[in-house]
Amino acid sequence: MLSMKNINKVFKTDLVETHALRDFNLEVKEGEFVAVTGPSGSGKTTFLNIAGLLEGFTNGDYFLDGVNISNLSDNKSAAIRNEKIGFIFQGFNLIPDLNLAENVEVPLRYRGFSRSERDKRVKQALEQVGLGARMKHLPAQLSGGQQQRVAIARALAGEPRFLLADEPTGNLDSMMARQVMELLEDINKAGTTIIMVTHDPELARRAQRNIQIVDGQVCDFTMYQGGQPQLVSDNVQAVS
Amino acid sequence: MLQIKPILSMLLRSKSSPLLLLLQIILSVAIVANASFIIHERLALMDRDSGVVEQEVFDFTMYSFDPSVDLVQQQHKDLQLIRDLPGVKSATFSSMTPLSGGGWSSSFTIGTSEEDERSAPNSAMYYGDEQMVDTLGVKLIEGRNLRPEEILPTFTDSGVKGIVSKAFADQAFPDESAVGKVIYNGNLGEEAIEIIGVVERLQGAWVNSDNLEYSVIIGVELTNAFMRYLVRAEEGTFTRLKEQIPEVLHKDQKNRVIQNFTTLTEHRTSVYRDHELMASVLSLMVVLLLLITSLGLTGMVMFNIERRTKQIGTRRALGATKRDVVSLFLVENYIICLVGGVVGGLLAIALGQQLMQHYDLPQLEWQYPLATIVGLVIVTTLAVVFPATKAAKISPAIATRSV
Repeated sequence: MLSMKNINKVFKTDLVETHALRDFNLEVKEGEFVAVTGPSGSGKTTFLNIAGLLEGFTNGDYFLDGVNISNLSDNKSAAIRNEKIGFIFQGFNLIPDLNLAENVEVPLRYRGFSRSERDKRVKQALEQVGLGARMKHLPAQLSGGQQQRVAIARALAGEPRFLLADEPTGNLDSMMARQVMELLEDINKAGTTIIMVTHDPELARRAQRNIQIVDGQVCDFTMYQGGQPQLVSDNVQAVS
Repeated sequence: MLQIKPILSMLLRSKSSPLLLLLQIILSVAIVANASFIIHERLALMDRDSGVVEQEVFDFTMYSFDPSVDLVQQQHKDLQLIRDLPGVKSATFSSMTPLSGGGWSSSFTIGTSEEDERSAPNSAMYYGDEQMVDTLGVKLIEGRNLRPEEILPTFTDSGVKGIVSKAFADQAFPDESAVGKVIYNGNLGEEAIEIIGVVERLQGAWVNSDNLEYSVIIGVELTNAFMRYLVRAEEGTFTRLKEQIPEVLHKDQKNRVIQNFTTLTEHRTSVYRDHELMASVLSLMVVLLLLITSLGLTGMVMFNIERRTKQIGTRRALGATKRDVVSLFLVENYIICLVGGVVGGLLAIALGQQLMQHYDLPQLEWQYPLATIVGLVIVTTLAVVFPATKAAKISPAIATRSV
């Protein structure tokens, strides 16, 4: 599903070179729920941006759903993001001047779906997150947890193969965080591959697999089965 | 277009800044449409053909202060001296100069008895001799020119021959030829003028008058102490002739002041100066208004880009191409521009009607608001495309930044 081999990402300024990712290797299988943890500045967000085609990488190989991501045109990247990837952001990133239905509809319009198809998917996605009755509300009229559910609905409406969540519960209280997490688990059970970046070890533990990034490398790889942690490898290489 | 509905929703919900821009556009369209119309009207006025070969004609004045001089005899000698100068094509005394802003005018009576008596339009009155038609370069389209023997020393009740402009002939004798008809300079039966010819076009002196196109040339001598002469000469000889004419005339009789040599081109510039100034000021205003509107548009787009950086990044993350981002801003501003344009166009027509009622202006033609809206669409495109292209370069990775 997702395969990164020897990915390097170097940020250059006039004075310094910063290696955000170094020889980064990761394989994620279809249907997995992977939690990515790591300290601030470790490269989690850079990994997420590269995985989600939000930014390029300096060198290495990246295949997503069989497509070689290296040297894709800007339009092709946008099309892959739109079709294959669903994004959930820490700050929800809803458009404040659009109502819930219009927000969920945004990626569907870029896909070029017909109006009836868009309406059907918007309704379905909002109902899936329990907000089918509030389609005409504005984001500001909702709680943080509800806003994140709208963002999840927006990510789901395009029926992506692959969901990328960036601290999805980072701005929520524990009860709302739990609800959102349960929703993500349900989505994963339905077959969508999920990679979730989080600071919260509790949440990370609920994922099937947990990888830790330190200094731009995968340095710890743990698989949880039935909620019991098992150390699989303490090596840099992460292979499942 | 794909995104009109959500963009419209966005605009309706974020009222304040689009509303201010909308107001600016409405006022700009209303003012620009009317100003363009007035400019066009003024330019059309300035572009009217006087009928005279302006580039070859000039005038000058002469004041004879020696009472012992026989003015009639002196005038004949003077005209001959002028006509003999190299480069001069023809010359005549005249009561007035076309486009000069001053001269003689008269109203005429037509008819054979009190029953069918009517008025002919008030017209410019050119006293001149048989060379008047050639000197002005006006085109005789009917009848004939004045003959030397037909030039009378004074205005009498009969025997005066005249030539009229076609505009005058059409107005005074709408369904028949004017040639052979008689018009009276005053009451019926007094100072009869027999029309012997019609010229295609000859304007009077007053460019703002509705009667500018009505002119009458009469073959009557003018021999006052203060006289005006019209000269037609080859192009490029004016500078030389304005030195030579006083020289030869003073040589013959020195007790007179000869001055005010002015070409018809100079008269035209002078008489239309107000119109030109008005057209220039209004043109400047139109340019400034369009510039201010485009700056307003650019400013709002830049402000929106700044405000919506994360939103643009999110849209890009959700699959918007760079082109989608540019079109988002374009559509958004086209909506404002078209709503402003239509409302502004209606306001322009209302404003035009007010101007028409209170000032001497014709009704605003609908093409002007329409052309202004088209111009506005072009201005909007130019003002929006550059900042929007910049916005399209915002990285989608901005969406994952927490601050």
